Formats: sequence, structure tokens, C-alpha cells
Amino acid sequence: MDEPAFEAFYRKTAGGIWSYIYRMTGDAAMADDLLQKTFFRFIRSSPGITDEDHLRRYVYKTATNLVFDHFRETKRERTSEIDWMPSEVRPDRGDLRHDIARVFSDLKPQERALLWLAHVEGNSHEEIAEAIGVKSKSIKVMLFRARKRLGEMLTKKGLAPEVTR
Amino acid sequence: MTTECAFEGNVIDAVTTGSWTESLRGHVGSCEDCAAAAEVGPWLSRFAGLDEREHILPDPTVLWLKAKLLRTSSAVERAALPITRLQIAAYLIIAAGWAAMLTWKSAALQAWVNHFSPGHMILGVTGPEASASLSISVIVAIFALASATVGVAMHTILAEE
Repeated sequence: MDEPAFEAFYRKTAGGIWSYIYRMTGDAAMADDLLQKTFFRFIRSSPGITDEDHLRRYVYKTATNLVFDHFRETKRERTSEIDWMPSEVRPDRGDLRHDIARVFSDLKPQERALLWLAHVEGNSHEEIAEAIGVKSKSIKVMLFRARKRLGEMLTKKGLAPEVTR
Repeated sequence: MTTECAFEGNVIDAVTTGSWTESLRGHVGSCEDCAAAAEVGPWLSRFAGLDEREHILPDPTVLWLKAKLLRTSSAVERAALPITRLQIAAYLIIAAGWAAMLTWKSAALQAWVNHFSPGHMILGVTGPEASASLSISVIVAIFALASATVGVAMHTILAEE
């Protein structure tokens, strides 16, 4: 991939990937750092893929690996609530964003990744499996459990999910 | 069942856009995966839509250049690896040489060093120590080891620069 092609691809995907990493880690500076690492790896490996969708999946997979590595390295699988939350949504601000961020931070990193990729990125089970490095067949159960756990946590915290049905 | 429900994507879209069809609503009532997706979907949409502080992403040109520089520097590191290994081996050999020299010729070296002590120089002590001297072979060996030490150290410094 040459520089103009990279630039075009970056402008399309970087925003979404930054948001994904940021919601996973809850740290804007860390999201910047991991985003750069993601694209460094991408450029260095020069994947021989031309399909943009595949490239996007490749970048998400790289980002997910880096985020999981980050959690493993820092041994902070369940980060402390205050550390996790961005300064603008800390408890002293007393708004709904705080509750939302808190509930999401209470999920395990893999659950966060599953839910974000399925609901925000709109990925299929196969794409999610590729990104988080598990078998495609396992996603159905894992995603169901993650949704149930999130639902229970929301109910417990008085933020019961809206039923749209 | 381990396969993805064919309507799951539609349910997630409907949750996000609010465009539900009657058949989709009916399906959600009978599919527990889609029911779970519909339950937490609105909350996740709201979470995703939270206003993040205006974030300026790194410039792609800078990233591209940095990545190229990193690639070059890692290539240089790879190329320099055999040299680094040789340097380490040279340091080990020289250290072993010095250790052998100091062990085998310790008595002669000690006597030679004492030869320059004030006692010898001022009082002119006589006896076996007074005539202590190093053999030519020892002097050559010390000179060779010292030269090798300086040479390897200079090489390391210049290579780093």
C-alpha cells in the first residue's frame, strides 16, 4: 500500500478504531498510543489485501490484540472505576454519562469488545471471531452471555434497558 | 445452535434507527438472541453516541513517516546484531585474558608494582624484590590485552555514534 492509499484508508477507519480503543480502555492518551501502534503494525506488515473491508477487519483485529495485550501487561483486567473513566464523566460530574461509563467499565474486556463490535460496528459473528481471536461458533454463546450480563448490570444499577419491542 | 441468527443484524439496525417492522418485532418475541440484542441495543447506541471530547487524531502523513523510520531503524538493528554479538564475544575474551594474566602472573605483577612503592624508590630496599622485573613475554601480553581492550571499547563507542 502506498502513502495516498494509506491516508485515504486511515481517514475512513481511524475515527472508529480510536472510539473502539477508547471505550475499551477508557483512556484517551492510551487510545492515541494504541491507535498509532495499530497503524504502525499495519504499515509494517503491509498486508497483501486489496479489499477495503478485509483491511478494516485486519486493523480491528490488530487493535483488539493490542488492547488485550495492554490489559495483560498492566494486569488490570478489571480496572478501577475512577481510573477507567475519562475525566469528563467522573462521578463528580453527576450525570448519566457517568453511570453509563461505569457500567461498561464493569464488563470484562472481552465482553466490551464483543458488544462494541456487534452493536456499534455492526460486525457479523464471523468478523467478531476474527477480531477477538476465537472460533466463530463460540460467538453466539459469548455474545448472548455478554448481553445478558450487561442487561443484569443495568437493571441492578437502575438503568434498566429500554425495551423497544 | 451455534450459528448466527439471520435477523440479528436487522434487529441491531432497527434498534439503532428505530425502524421496526412487524415481522421483525414478531421475530424478536421468538428468538432469545435477538431479544437480548434488542434489550441492550438502545443502551449501547446511547453509549456509543456519548459526546467524546473533540479528539484530534494523529496525522496520517506523520504516522506513515514514523512507521517508515521505525521500519528502517529495526532493519538497522537487525543488520547490527551480528556486530553486537561479536563485540560481546570480544569483551568476554578480553576479560578472560585479563583474568588469566592476573591469576598466573600475580606474584610477578605484585613484585613489579611494589618496585614502584616509595619504600623501594626512596630507601632503596635491597633483596629479591629490588630486582623484580617483568619478562618480555608478560609485557607483550599486557600490551596486547590493553590494546585489545581500548580497540573494542573505541569500536563500541564509534559504532553507537
